Amino acid sequence: MGQSVNVTSVPWVDSGDAPPLPLDRDRRDIISQAIADPLVDYDIVPLTYTNSRWSAFFYRCDEKDLKHILPKCLELEDDVVEFWYVDHLHTGLGPYGEMGVTVSASHKASDGNTYYAGYYPYMYLTQDAAVFAGREPFGFPKKIAYIITQEHGGKDDDGYGGFGNDYFNFTLERRGYLIHTATGRYDDAELPAKPTFYGDPRYGRMNLRLITDVSLRTTKWDLTYLPSEVTEPLAAAMGRPETVGQHRFQLKPESIRTASANAIRTWALQATPFDNLGAMMPVKELIGLMSFSFDLIIPGAATIWSQLIERTDEDLGDLLFATPYQYTMRHRFPKPPGV
Amino acid sequence: MAEQFAVTAIPGAETGEIPPSPVDRDEKTAFIYSLVDPLWDIDTLPLTYTNSRWSAFFYRADAKALRRVCPDVLEIEDDVVEFWYVDHNHTMLGPYGEMGVTVACSHKAGDGKTYYAGYYPYMYLTQDAAIDAGRVLGFPKKEAFIRVLEHGGAPDDGYGVYDTKIYQFDYFSFLMIRNGYVIHSATGKYDDADLPAKPKFYGNTEYGRMNMKVVTAPDVSSSEWQLIYLPSTVTKGLATLMNRPDSEGSHRFQVKPESIRTASANSIDWFMQATPYDNLGHELPPTELLGLMTFSFDLIIPAGETLWTETYTRDATWAGAAKPYRYGLRQRFPKPIGLGA
Repeated sequence: MGQSVNVTSVPWVDSGDAPPLPLDRDRRDIISQAIADPLVDYDIVPLTYTNSRWSAFFYRCDEKDLKHILPKCLELEDDVVEFWYVDHLHTGLGPYGEMGVTVSASHKASDGNTYYAGYYPYMYLTQDAAVFAGREPFGFPKKIAYIITQEHGGKDDDGYGGFGNDYFNFTLERRGYLIHTATGRYDDAELPAKPTFYGDPRYGRMNLRLITDVSLRTTKWDLTYLPSEVTEPLAAAMGRPETVGQHRFQLKPESIRTASANAIRTWALQATPFDNLGAMMPVKELIGLMSFSFDLIIPGAATIWSQLIERTDEDLGDLLFATPYQYTMRHRFPKPPGV
Repeated sequence: MAEQFAVTAIPGAETGEIPPSPVDRDEKTAFIYSLVDPLWDIDTLPLTYTNSRWSAFFYRADAKALRRVCPDVLEIEDDVVEFWYVDHNHTMLGPYGEMGVTVACSHKAGDGKTYYAGYYPYMYLTQDAAIDAGRVLGFPKKEAFIRVLEHGGAPDDGYGVYDTKIYQFDYFSFLMIRNGYVIHSATGKYDDADLPAKPKFYGNTEYGRMNMKVVTAPDVSSSEWQLIYLPSTVTKGLATLMNRPDSEGSHRFQVKPESIRTASANSIDWFMQATPYDNLGHELPPTELLGLMTFSFDLIIPAGETLWTETYTRDATWAGAAKPYRYGLRQRFPKPIGLGA
């Protein structure tokens, strides 16, 4: 006889540590599918981050390359790019690693306002809830990747913390291909340039969200905008009215370390069959690295520009690039070990 | 001075195997973000699967539990649930592991027509492109660690038993873990028994597949629920687009009968639990385990059709359920190790 064990209680719902089951709640509290067990649930809202560690490489990029990757509704504001890794420790979505690229851009809206922001053409994370909390609904272009962020060495260690962080090592891999790695040692140099949005509260963040109908007949493009400061409703929702007007991204100045371009010992960036960052945004001049710890709040986003793409039968045919049952190098890639 | 190494060519772009970036194409062909480097792209379409291996546990579930996990717009058609794992080898999205639950349901549409389908309340996969491609069609996919094993009992000449299509592995093991918690594991040995019951949609072309897609506005002020339907047979349009007119009217899901193995309930050891992150073990426990059926198959996934929608709105006072900076047991879960997605 086969043995069967079923543990049917959900841990700690009764104590209130986990929220009530979705099917026991008001439907408006369900923000993602599945409706019986959402990938991203309402106990992440409002979304806060504590003591994450940001490591930003700055480099100059060819203006033509930058204009090439920006959507038509954005203007380029700066040729200094932020190429960053983050080690998130305590967040509403759990801990995870992250990597992304931020480009200074602006959008002249139909109401006459010009919105300035860091725009994200590329983002990678290590876990599903954070990826889809970003993609759906905000439009962060997140993919899942293997990410390593390390700082180590350079300090006596008594075993109770206070670990050294003189050396750094970053790696981004996806589908078996190395996309990027950089290693080196901080020299705490003054960096010759930073992206325009550093320290400028005019700059929020922007994403381009593409929502395609299940019939593939339409795709709605939404340019979404997150202001840089805490709004009154967000402060109220967090129960922290004193935060109104503060920057959502609170940098801890005492935690800053920098490395000049010369102190970045190795830098390898390559385009792969699955990820074109290395082809689209190669480095023209490496400027340096800045690492710091920070707290962050992510609110709902405003939509400041939209367009609707409609497809005819002929247009639908253009979507079918593949030759069925003839698998190419993008299809027969190695099976992921583990997850 | 830093040693720099930059590879700026995209492998496969020069042979035409890989499509140009959407920023270099007609904007009508951009449909997934990011705009410059989509999570998955047009070279996955049409979406075909070859020689995947399906392992479906059948069990009876309580009628009340089934009613609860299915949306109100659906009627339950059967108390036999399909609880399945898949080992996908050759697909346009690459190989991946998958697990899901399918419930036989129907929906009476506004036009008076009744649609029958397997509805998916739960699904898990091992990689991001397949998850997002599914979520666009409303499949409720999450990422998990999934193991699908069949082994032992087959003659092996060292050149691959699967490749010669000899399906004689006798033992099986299935495992699913997410966020460090085991959700399910089952092990056993095939005995090729006749199973006492199968889900109603088995072998019934009336039954397509249904999902409930949720699209939330960027400012979280509303969520639209969309009931999505995929028919079971290949339509003329799809057959034409695939350049396979002969496939029109055939089932999208082609089982290979010679590959079928079964195990009676007595041949299965089974463990399932609800976790802080995944409530399947709580919502849909078996009332009677019926057995396991494993088979190989080919599959085509077409675009979907929206049968029903409803929108839920939230005003400015809606603030979710988190207590900011007080992390509960759902927030401080173990940091994922590696995660080679």
